[in-house]
Amino acid sequence: MERRFYRHSRWDIFIHWLNAACWLLLLVTGLGLISNPDIDPLGGWYPAMLRAIFGGGANLLIFHIALGVVWIAGFVLYIAFNFRGALFFLRELFSVDLPRDALWMVKKPIQMTLGDAGLRKLGLSTDIPDQGFYNMGQKSFGQASVLGSLVLAVTGVVMVMSRTSLGEAQTGLVSWSILLHYLSAGLVFAGLIIHVYMAAISRDERPGFRSMFTGWVDENYAKHHHRLWWEKERAVAGVREEE
Amino acid sequence: MNKPQYAMVIDSSRCIDCKGCVASCKVANKVPEGHFRNWVKQSAPVVAVGKGAGQHFQPGACMHCDNPTCVQACPTGATWKDPTTGMVEIDRGLCIGCGNCIAACPYGARYRHATMRVADKCDYCAERRAHGLGPACVDTCPTKARVFGDINDPSSEAAILLAANQDRIVRVVNQKSDTKPNMYYIAATAPLDWTVEAKMPTPMKLMADALTPGLRVAVGFAGLGALAMLGRQLLTPASKEHDEDGQNDQGERVTERNAETEA
Amino acid sequence: MTPNKARRISRRGFLKAAGAVAAGLAAARPETVAAVAGSPAATITEWESRFSACDMCFNRCGLIARVENGVVRKLDPNPKFLKSRGMLCARGNAGIAQLYDPDRLKYPLLRVGERGEGKWKRISWDEALDLTAQSLQAIRKEYSPSGVMFMAGSDMQSSFVNRFAEVFGSFNVTSHESNCLMSNTRAYLDTFGEVPFPDVLNSKYVLMAGANRFEALVTPDSMDLMTAMRERGCKLVVLDPRFTKTAALAHEWWPIKPGTDMAFMLACMHVITSENLYDKAWVAEKTYGIEQLTQHVKQYDPRWAEGETGIPAADIARMAREMAAVAPQAMVYPGRRSSDYVNSTQIRRSFAMLNALLANWDRPGGLLGAREVGLGSGIPFSAPWYDENPFERADAGIAPLMIEHEGSYVLLREAVLKGEPYPLKGFFSFKVNPLATAPDRAKSIEMMKAFDFSVVVDIAMSDTAWFADLVLPAPSYLERMDPASALQGSSACACVVDRDPVVPAMFESRPVFDICKALAQRLELGEFFDFDMAAFRKAQLKDLPGAEKALAEDGVYYNPSKVYGIYEGRIYKTKSQKIEFFNQRYADEGLDPMPVYNAPKAVPDGMFRMVVGRSAVYTHSATNNTLLRQLEPDCLLWINPKRADALGIKDGDAVIVQSAVGKGQAKALVTEAIRADTAYMPTGFGALSKGLSLAHGNGASMAGVLESNFDAISGNAAMHETFVTVTRKA
Repeated sequence: MERRFYRHSRWDIFIHWLNAACWLLLLVTGLGLISNPDIDPLGGWYPAMLRAIFGGGANLLIFHIALGVVWIAGFVLYIAFNFRGALFFLRELFSVDLPRDALWMVKKPIQMTLGDAGLRKLGLSTDIPDQGFYNMGQKSFGQASVLGSLVLAVTGVVMVMSRTSLGEAQTGLVSWSILLHYLSAGLVFAGLIIHVYMAAISRDERPGFRSMFTGWVDENYAKHHHRLWWEKERAVAGVREEE
Repeated sequence: MNKPQYAMVIDSSRCIDCKGCVASCKVANKVPEGHFRNWVKQSAPVVAVGKGAGQHFQPGACMHCDNPTCVQACPTGATWKDPTTGMVEIDRGLCIGCGNCIAACPYGARYRHATMRVADKCDYCAERRAHGLGPACVDTCPTKARVFGDINDPSSEAAILLAANQDRIVRVVNQKSDTKPNMYYIAATAPLDWTVEAKMPTPMKLMADALTPGLRVAVGFAGLGALAMLGRQLLTPASKEHDEDGQNDQGERVTERNAETEA
Repeated sequence: MTPNKARRISRRGFLKAAGAVAAGLAAARPETVAAVAGSPAATITEWESRFSACDMCFNRCGLIARVENGVVRKLDPNPKFLKSRGMLCARGNAGIAQLYDPDRLKYPLLRVGERGEGKWKRISWDEALDLTAQSLQAIRKEYSPSGVMFMAGSDMQSSFVNRFAEVFGSFNVTSHESNCLMSNTRAYLDTFGEVPFPDVLNSKYVLMAGANRFEALVTPDSMDLMTAMRERGCKLVVLDPRFTKTAALAHEWWPIKPGTDMAFMLACMHVITSENLYDKAWVAEKTYGIEQLTQHVKQYDPRWAEGETGIPAADIARMAREMAAVAPQAMVYPGRRSSDYVNSTQIRRSFAMLNALLANWDRPGGLLGAREVGLGSGIPFSAPWYDENPFERADAGIAPLMIEHEGSYVLLREAVLKGEPYPLKGFFSFKVNPLATAPDRAKSIEMMKAFDFSVVVDIAMSDTAWFADLVLPAPSYLERMDPASALQGSSACACVVDRDPVVPAMFESRPVFDICKALAQRLELGEFFDFDMAAFRKAQLKDLPGAEKALAEDGVYYNPSKVYGIYEGRIYKTKSQKIEFFNQRYADEGLDPMPVYNAPKAVPDGMFRMVVGRSAVYTHSATNNTLLRQLEPDCLLWINPKRADALGIKDGDAVIVQSAVGKGQAKALVTEAIRADTAYMPTGFGALSKGLSLAHGNGASMAGVLESNFDAISGNAAMHETFVTVTRKA
């Protein structure tokens, strides 16, 4: 029987997909909320279209805020009911073995785009350093997402509060919040493009993608993509196996 | 026909500074205590004996500019210039009260509404116009110094007045921020030195000058990277890594799928 | 009460506009929908539009109240109201703040502490009316009906207070007028036989002294003056120690030395008579005493006047000639408030006589007589005779030509304090606030303390109410039915307005008519009030067939009566039956038949002459208004920089202004806009009443600082005879 490794709990899966859905919708609606030729990333047609769909910018804003509330509430639930899981996630995400991970970070993208030939052409060896539970690409995106999300949540709350409780003296805070909100969303979105490619399109990561539904990965995937984790898991007694 | 441009044509030499317009506006628009949507400015009095004495009073409000710096400062388009009326409008449902537009107005025409917590300013009394009435300041003015209308409609009182005084129209503008205001003063008006330079708040400036291009580059780079990886994936057969390890099963499947996609 | 007629204005305009909005929405980009959704215009709530007449000052401008779900949302001018030229000033707009003022009186209050202590007990209307009736009756029994002093302000219901006073039997009825314009009234009555309406609109030259028409708004004069200046080439010359807004907009401003206006007018008459610049035929036909005048003014040449007024002789002569050149379309603006000097009637006589010399009476651009309005007096009555009454008013016999039915507040107050010529022990006042508007507040407080019983009817706890025994809440002008009122507006109109409630009366407030009626019933005088307001108004309008319809449809009724030449074939109501330069009655009374100049008292060293004036924002003591207060928040004391420097006072400093009778704290406005020998501050600040949350303790009280003087002829208060010191607050 093929061995399988347990990678994601139900909570993880839940929060990942909730996050993904909220993110997508927040991004779609959020982009529609920016309407100013100096700053709108897609041009004026996009906010105009979105506002037409939603029956005006006011409705769009309400929808965006409501989504934000759902999104934040999801995380609150996640942390409240899965505190240890969350802790594990953060610990994995933020533990970086600098020389190893840096090297990975340099080589992997080259390999993914230019192949081993590319690596060789650049005078680099084709062996890629082994990675743990997350590889450095996942870690860096995860880190950016966590920090970005925190900023987005906080600045989002500030902007909502601007309409519910803040006074004239705090408009500077609101104005800066807009900037940070915009910056965080933009940066995380840049990472998201890679993340979505890796997870949903890249053939190599397909088991990883599947695990985001089932929670499990096969040994082959574990061994090749997260060797350090695989080694550790393998060494630990009582690795759960599929029935 | 020309697009409408609602505007005010003001003979400020008729103004007696009675503040009727200010009071009327405050009531009509429920402007909170301490704030005003319109004003009467006073020139420095020339207190000379006999014929040299004088002072000038200048009624004003949002000038619904053609080049509105407030609109430029608004990230959400909650403040926008309505092409159907030429008015600079505020969508209260979309405004989040960041205050950018307030600093960006060279006329101080905007304030942050303390209870609604959004920007507020003259809207030529939208509610009154919906009832078929004129703006409150215009209707109430004792000396009829303020005239309101569509200056692109030649039959309007405002357009007629404007046309009749074509060569002696004065617009109050700030030298550093000419917003092309749609408030036309007939002949000499004073004071002229009260405007301020429109101030684009730093966050907005950063977003426009640095963040937006920067993020476009970042997102573009990421997109290019993803495309490159996709390209490679499509051009190369199934991963050798897996094969090396004897996991034919998986490799075949992927290859099959690949073949399907290519087909 | 008669139900409100619910006058509704045609909704066609509204529907048209609503249609336009809908069409606009269809065409607009999506944001438009949101913009409207986010603004109050989204739900275009129905407004009911009801006519009324403003009551924020005496002008009674026609207005339209926009009422939404029983709440007044906005007061707008009635565009068909010609007298006001379809305008509503800041005060008119702020009527809404008065209506919904949280400081409004809500129910009858009986004093339980000391007078002025501010301890009150809520009582029922029955108790209040019983107490008032019993107290007035007791005073009437002990001291005679004239033992009760009645005082009513300018109001469409004030005539019912006077009616009640008359049937009650008191001679001692007064009003605000003797603190305001009685000397001016006297002067014109004694020159033309009536008080004129200046035809500013058609004038080519307006000389304005002792008036400030662009701030102290009078309809239609204030508006017409601007129209005449901007569109018809009228010249405006202002003589004023203060650089008022009128001065600011005038062609010429002369900071005349206060109290010397007569010297200016006499010198003008000197120039016009000596240079034969007047219409000889007209003067010969219409006037009496031109020879005496010519002789009289010989002594008053412009060189002499320059010494008195501070205005160069050449300019005085020039202005006289300029006026004469455009006469009769030239005028000395008659003005209103003339409660300034002890010889104000004579000062104003000199104004009136110069007008007569300009031959402008009853002619375009000049002074016009009252036009026919045709409003009836309502339901007539003949007051009962009371044998026990004294011979005459308590303030009689001091000012020889006091106007009998108005009396003199300052003289009546003196009578109360002295108990002479007979005791005055009761006080009934309605909508008048002498404690804040008449000179020498300390004396007025003493007066209030001297009464056995005082009752004040008002909408808020005025200073006068604060010192009363019983305070009764009245509805504001927007909450009640009023009789019709005739208004004149020079060539603009002769018209009738009335009032119906725009909204129902709030709290337990009751109109003074109802109060008078209820008291009359309790005092067995019910027969004199045996009618309701609707019946009274019907009686008033009975000779004006179209009036009721016009009032319902337009909010105003016009009588297209003759404007000019109404004196053709008519005699003047003077002793000579002509326009009098030389007043024979004055001669008979031992008064100067023509104004003889007496220089005003010199300002003592280190002091200022305090002058009274108006802004367009406040009427008298009506400063307790949240809206108006935002337009003029501070009690500013104007002083010239020359004096301020010497006194170490900087602009914005807190200063103490002090006279022989009182002092107060104001904020210094150091400005060239006032003469160095003169100080000015607004009226209505520094209220004592804690029931006026905005006005209480805020600024200095003009009434508290002014000393009590009066015009020798009319008994009108003289408010420019007070000298003050100004010191920086330590």
